[in-house]
Amino acid sequence: MMGTNQARSQQLRIEVDFNVCADHGQCAIAAPDIFRIDDKGHLVFDANPDAALHADADDAADACPEQAITIID
Amino acid sequence: MTTAVDEAPYFDIESPDFAIKSEQVYAARERSWYARTSYGLAVLRYDEMSRLLKHPKLRQGSVAWPAHNGITEGPFAEWWASWVLNKEGEEHHRLRRLMNPAFSPRLIGGLVPRFQALANELIDGFAEPGRCEFMSEFANPYAARVIAIMLGLPEEEWPVIASESAAIGLAMGITLRTELPRITRALANLYAYADDLIAARRAQPRDDFVTALVKAADEGDKLSDDELRDGLVLLIFGGFDTTRNQLGLAMQTFLDNPAQWRLLASRPELGKKAVEEVMRVNPTVTWVTREALEDFTFEGLDVAAGTTVHLFSQSAGTDPRAFPDCGFDIEAERKPHYGFGGGAHHCLGHFVARSDMSEALPLLARRLVDPRLGGTATWLPDSGNTGPVTLPIAFTPAS
Repeated sequence: MMGTNQARSQQLRIEVDFNVCADHGQCAIAAPDIFRIDDKGHLVFDANPDAALHADADDAADACPEQAITIID
Repeated sequence: MTTAVDEAPYFDIESPDFAIKSEQVYAARERSWYARTSYGLAVLRYDEMSRLLKHPKLRQGSVAWPAHNGITEGPFAEWWASWVLNKEGEEHHRLRRLMNPAFSPRLIGGLVPRFQALANELIDGFAEPGRCEFMSEFANPYAARVIAIMLGLPEEEWPVIASESAAIGLAMGITLRTELPRITRALANLYAYADDLIAARRAQPRDDFVTALVKAADEGDKLSDDELRDGLVLLIFGGFDTTRNQLGLAMQTFLDNPAQWRLLASRPELGKKAVEEVMRVNPTVTWVTREALEDFTFEGLDVAAGTTVHLFSQSAGTDPRAFPDCGFDIEAERKPHYGFGGGAHHCLGHFVARSDMSEALPLLARRLVDPRLGGTATWLPDSGNTGPVTLPIAFTPAS
């Protein structure tokens, strides 16, 4: 039990609601290691970043004007 | 493609006769998605505004505004250049990351009971029953005291925030040059105010936003003293002027839509949607400005590097292509409006503004029954950040 939880806690799970996302890119400013705006102006992101980026991921979720980002521990 | 430019509608946006909320603009919007103006292009339709707001070939465009008005040096030009709004790239992102945590929805949610108490206190304090001058008796103290609560300032000092911020707000409009002495004085006063605040928190740290910023500044090279001061002045000004104007514009809209006011009174949970709907049809920020970083073509129009592009928020928000049933309806499901701008420069304080206004409006609707204009209102210029200067209203006090 402990072992599997530990293994799992090495990564975060991030979900973005693309029905709401407006490609403002605030998440890419808050957490550039997870989120990025591509050349066409659209959001791309790492759905399973390292857990060490948890604080950055939280900042990105907070900063999203549309509140489209969910972090699942 | 130059012929297309020549056939587009033309606005002299620096003329006192030009009005953004006008049949001239709405008629032009039916002819063309853009207009030429005396100062760059104007974008009139929702879809084009939505795409250009976040277009990678455009930067935030206000940076050139003082120079366009012949102001290239002095404290005002320096402060303007220091704004996070007028920075781009990593420099912008660094300032934004430092300021963002103070505006998180979780922190602001905890302030809701204080917003409600403040709104009730102000309504209780109206000088006369059944009448008020809405701006001086409600919108100004409400918006200024919300800033005071946010920054941990004494709330009784709200008139300083209000008067100096309103003066700086004049910088957004076409009267910038004539108002410059007043704007510069206001800036000096707010600088002194911010310096005092920073010194006070350095001497006696508190568990508050300003202390957090001071700590960030003092722990290495994250934030210089100038950046700290400029940032605080921007927060004071940016938070006050826009919110007081938007509250006044909300009241104007509801005076014209009494059934919607009654609906809001009976269903206070519509407060959030009421704020969005007001900002769609009657935003204080009447245009959002961008500047072309390089030559590019958009929808067949060649845009040269350096071109200023004004995105007309109100025209886009009432565009029948995006809002076929565009009447004012706080229950309707709408596409997002661009009253807070968008993209990298999306309004930093929008959660505060949304939260404080969505508390204030239903409370006002419940307590000020059947409001109507109670005298002659006076108005800021229609360009830039607009709103009432004074808005006398009469109403029936709720029993």
